[in-house]
Amino acid sequence: MSDYVIPIVFLLALVFSLVKRKDAYGAFTQGASKAIDLVCRIFPFLLASLVAVELFSASGAAKALGTFTAPFFAFFGIPSQLCELLVVRPVSGAGALGVLGKIFSQYGADSYIGKCASVIYGSSETVFYVAAVYFSKTNIRKTSYAVPVALLCTFAGYVLGCFLLRFF
Amino acid sequence: MSAIWLILTFTGLIVLTFTDPAAVLPTLTAGSGAAANLCITLVASYALWMGFFSLIDKLGITDGLARLLGPITRFLLPSANAKAQKFAAMNFSANILGLGNAATPMGVNTILQLDEGTGMTDDMATFVVISATSLQLVPTTMLSMRASAGSVHPTSVLIPCICATVFSTVLGVIVCKTVAAAKRKNAERKSEKCAFNSIRIAQNAQNGCKKTKAKSK
Repeated sequence: MSDYVIPIVFLLALVFSLVKRKDAYGAFTQGASKAIDLVCRIFPFLLASLVAVELFSASGAAKALGTFTAPFFAFFGIPSQLCELLVVRPVSGAGALGVLGKIFSQYGADSYIGKCASVIYGSSETVFYVAAVYFSKTNIRKTSYAVPVALLCTFAGYVLGCFLLRFF
Repeated sequence: MSAIWLILTFTGLIVLTFTDPAAVLPTLTAGSGAAANLCITLVASYALWMGFFSLIDKLGITDGLARLLGPITRFLLPSANAKAQKFAAMNFSANILGLGNAATPMGVNTILQLDEGTGMTDDMATFVVISATSLQLVPTTMLSMRASAGSVHPTSVLIPCICATVFSTVLGVIVCKTVAAAKRKNAERKSEKCAFNSIRIAQNAQNGCKKTKAKSK
């Protein structure tokens, strides 16, 4: 069923643009032209985080951390190989993307670990970044319970997602 | 992020220096090589999706969705003025469609409108929690990453992923609303107690007066 989502979404957009007589080609190329700028902007962050993650796992420290935290993750049904992703995800979008790529090349995108990583990356946001940017123009520095609640709920979402993945 | 980065690099470097110093340079190069490769993948997928979303935006779908979200926004942010609610609805609709770049300025504007100089309010917390628990329904970057990593079935994770996103956001709203209600109740009880106390103080004062009057007689 989920196979139909992408084709239907694209088809609907094209049909809409025909009905509304908008220039689909112009809009598409205009949006696409911004992609290189965006990637150039995130490249240094991607590079820094991947170098760090590579060092961390080559040294065996990642494995040690994984074994150490395994009982905690096992309790919630999340593979312990994903602890780096869990730590980086709320802090840096580009960093999490780097970790996700590494997990895919190490375990494969269709493995249970790869699928859990996909759900974790896809179902959550850079919590700390959102909180910081949204309040950047105000004088409010203490966001009371907002960040802890967001983090806890995100984690609850991960647990549900990883659980559901057993049936997909 | 800088703290996490420092910890990861530091631990990795120290351990490797003791166990296998020759592996440090190849590891560093492997990391930056992976980043460069990833960027090529990302340029392709970002270009595709940013093109698509710019078309969606041109078609007025973001605005239409924002109008649809109006009633929900009024329920979520009851103390917000009309301007804040409009910005919030636009922020939600851009986030749902995955237009992060369009959503951020709307989010900043919403918070600015909600800010009355009295510090953090419950509506602000609710709003930030909604955005920070992710609203994006189709995580396009993740799907493209899966496709380029050779997944036979990139969209197979879509349904669990959407469930996780929706669940985390709904749970966040419930928690925020509960906290806000509990705070309101507490404040009411406090003001009741205060009123009660002040009545008692007044009574005591009167009684005291009577006593002193009686004594003076």
